[in-house]
Amino acid sequence: MMDDLDALFAQAKAKPMAPSAAVMARVLADAAAHQPQGQAWPAADARPKLGLFAQFAGFFGGAGALAGMASAAMAGLFIGYVQPSSLDLVTGAGAASASLEQVELLPDLSAFLTEE
Amino acid sequence: MPRDTLAELDDEALLVLYANKDPDAARLLAHRLMPRLVGYAGRLLADRAEAEDIAQETMLRLWKLAPDWRSGEAKVSTWAYRVAQNLCTDRLRLRQRRGAEALDAVAEPASDAATVVAGMIEADRMAALDAALASLPERQRSAVVLRHIEGLTNPEIAEILQIGVEAVESLTARGKRALTLALAGQRAELGYEEAE
Repeated sequence: MMDDLDALFAQAKAKPMAPSAAVMARVLADAAAHQPQGQAWPAADARPKLGLFAQFAGFFGGAGALAGMASAAMAGLFIGYVQPSSLDLVTGAGAASASLEQVELLPDLSAFLTEE
Repeated sequence: MPRDTLAELDDEALLVLYANKDPDAARLLAHRLMPRLVGYAGRLLADRAEAEDIAQETMLRLWKLAPDWRSGEAKVSTWAYRVAQNLCTDRLRLRQRRGAEALDAVAEPASDAATVVAGMIEADRMAALDAALASLPERQRSAVVLRHIEGLTNPEIAEILQIGVEAVESLTARGKRALTLALAGQRAELGYEEAE
């Protein structure tokens, strides 16, 4: 009788219940409806793209630092053109009183090299 | 990806491809899993329409889970059988509560046998097997169908039914004995005398 049972099992195995075309269509419709959309994997570089100015400002440490540098540059140009007299006193003070003839950049070592 | 290449991939690879928007992966995966799920649920519930509903629901859960599928934890087919098993258990409990046993609604498998008579006998045999299976307790029925019709291994069945391997062996052995008894009275009707 067990052999009969095994024969029945083999018969059932050989003839699987085929799903109807209707249910297959429903399953595939479900699959299409739930398939992930858009980029499945995040892009390798997901950082937002920076504008040219933002990149430039970033190089100098942000827009605030850049504004400070720009102010200093403008002030320098202004001072250069206007040449205030008080500034002349500072820059001309040393040069007017004494003329500099020679600057010894390499100190003379001969004093140390003489033999006793 | 070309279909020939897809056909060589395992279920898990197809699921990953589906999650990554491959247009053919879902079709191939559905054609692999649906006959098994419909067959399994059909034998547990003895109702073709309900079995198709269960198979569709199982596949729907698989599609939803696809992006979060953790590879290597379970085989896709084992996971699907387990979901189908749980859905069938829910249906059977619902039936019990309603007191409506649909034993007479056993689906008769289509037969393309050479002669009408032979076809009828074969259909009768399958109907007798289904009726005998329906008379088994649910766990025994699941274990017997998974082992002897779906052809799964005991460890796989243990995972699906969430019991130990020894319990699976015991369930299938008891199930087979009970089936043999249920079928003994139908021996003549099944046409075995005629065949021998």
